[in-house]
Amino acid sequence: MTRFTRILGGLALAAVLAAPLATSASAQTDDSAAQIMKGLSSVTNDDPSLTVELLRKMAQDAVAANQPLSLNKSEIAKKLDKLAQITVQIQFALNSAVIRPESYATLGSIADAMHHPILWNYKFVVVGNTDATGTRKYNLELSQKRADAIVQALITLYRISPDRLQALGLGQEALQVPSKPDDPINRRVQIYNIGTVAPMPKGTTNPQ
Amino acid sequence: MKGKILALGALMLAGLAAPASAQTMSYAQAGALIAKSCGPSIERYCSKFNIGTGDVQKCLQDNKDKVPPQCFTDFAAVQASIAKRVAAQEGAWKACAASAQQFCSGVQPGDANLLDCLLASSKVVRPVCKETLLNAGWAN
Repeated sequence: MTRFTRILGGLALAAVLAAPLATSASAQTDDSAAQIMKGLSSVTNDDPSLTVELLRKMAQDAVAANQPLSLNKSEIAKKLDKLAQITVQIQFALNSAVIRPESYATLGSIADAMHHPILWNYKFVVVGNTDATGTRKYNLELSQKRADAIVQALITLYRISPDRLQALGLGQEALQVPSKPDDPINRRVQIYNIGTVAPMPKGTTNPQ
Repeated sequence: MKGKILALGALMLAGLAAPASAQTMSYAQAGALIAKSCGPSIERYCSKFNIGTGDVQKCLQDNKDKVPPQCFTDFAAVQASIAKRVAAQEGAWKACAASAQQFCSGVQPGDANLLDCLLASSKVVRPVCKETLLNAGWAN
C-alpha cells in the first residue's frame, strides 16, 4: 500500500460521514460505477464480529436444519442489512457458475468503483443468492461457485487485489423477498463493504 | 487588450497541456469491449469457461480459425489498457507528489481530500500528475 493510497483513503471517511444512511436491501440494482461507489461507501455500523466465516456457518446450519422457510427475513439477511451494500444482477449460464459475456461490463463497473481512491482501502464480500427453486443444498453450492467466479474475474481480469475480496454463497438462506421464495428477484449478487484493509491515515500527517 | 490576455492564457495552458482524455479505458468499457468483440464466440465455442480463469482466452485461441480477428485485437487492447491503468493508479502518488506539495499543502490528509484538491487545481497541476490521474480513471 503506497502512501498516496493511504492518504487518499481518508476520502472514504468523509464520504461515509456525508452520505445518507444506506437504504438496505432495496430491490433496485446499481450498475454505474458512481452508483456502486455510493452504495459501497454509505455506511455506518462497522461490525467486526460479522465475518464471512460466521455467515457461512449460519447458512450451512440453516441448510442442515432444513426448517420451513419463514415469512420473515432470515437472521443472516438481518445481519447483512446493516452493511454498506449494492445489489447487482449478473447473468450466469443455466445451472452453472459461468458468467455470461453480457455481464462483463457490470463486473467492470464494480471494478471501477473498487479501484477508486474512495474505496481503495476497503475490502468486500461478494455474496451469491438464489431463489428457492431447487434443493437448499444445491442452491448453497451453486451460489458459492458463482460468487467464486465473480471474485476470480475481479481479481484476474480487473486486477482487484485478492486480499480485498471474499466470496460467500448463501443459496436461498437470505431471500430478498421471503414471502415470494420462488421469485427470480431473489436471484442476485450483493456486494458488502466489510471494513478497511489498512488503518485509515491520521489527519495530522503532512503531505511531503 | 482582452485578446492579449486570452492569448497569454492560452499560451500558459498550452505550456502545461496534458492529454484531454484518458489513454486508458474504464474497466466497464473494457468488459463491454470483450463482450462485444468476443462475446458471441465465447458463447458459441467457450461457454463452459469462466472469464477469470484464463481458460476463455485459451479456448478462443484453440478456435482461432472461427473467431473473428477483431476479438483477439480487442482482447489484447483491453489487457494493455488495464495494465496501463493499474500502473497509473500505483504511480499516482509519485507523479502527483510535487503538485500536491505545491497546490494542496493546506489539505489535511485523512479528513480532507487530496485527490479533490488536485482535481480542483487541474488547470495548474503538473502535466505528469494530470495525465496519471486521467489514466488512473480518477479525472475527467
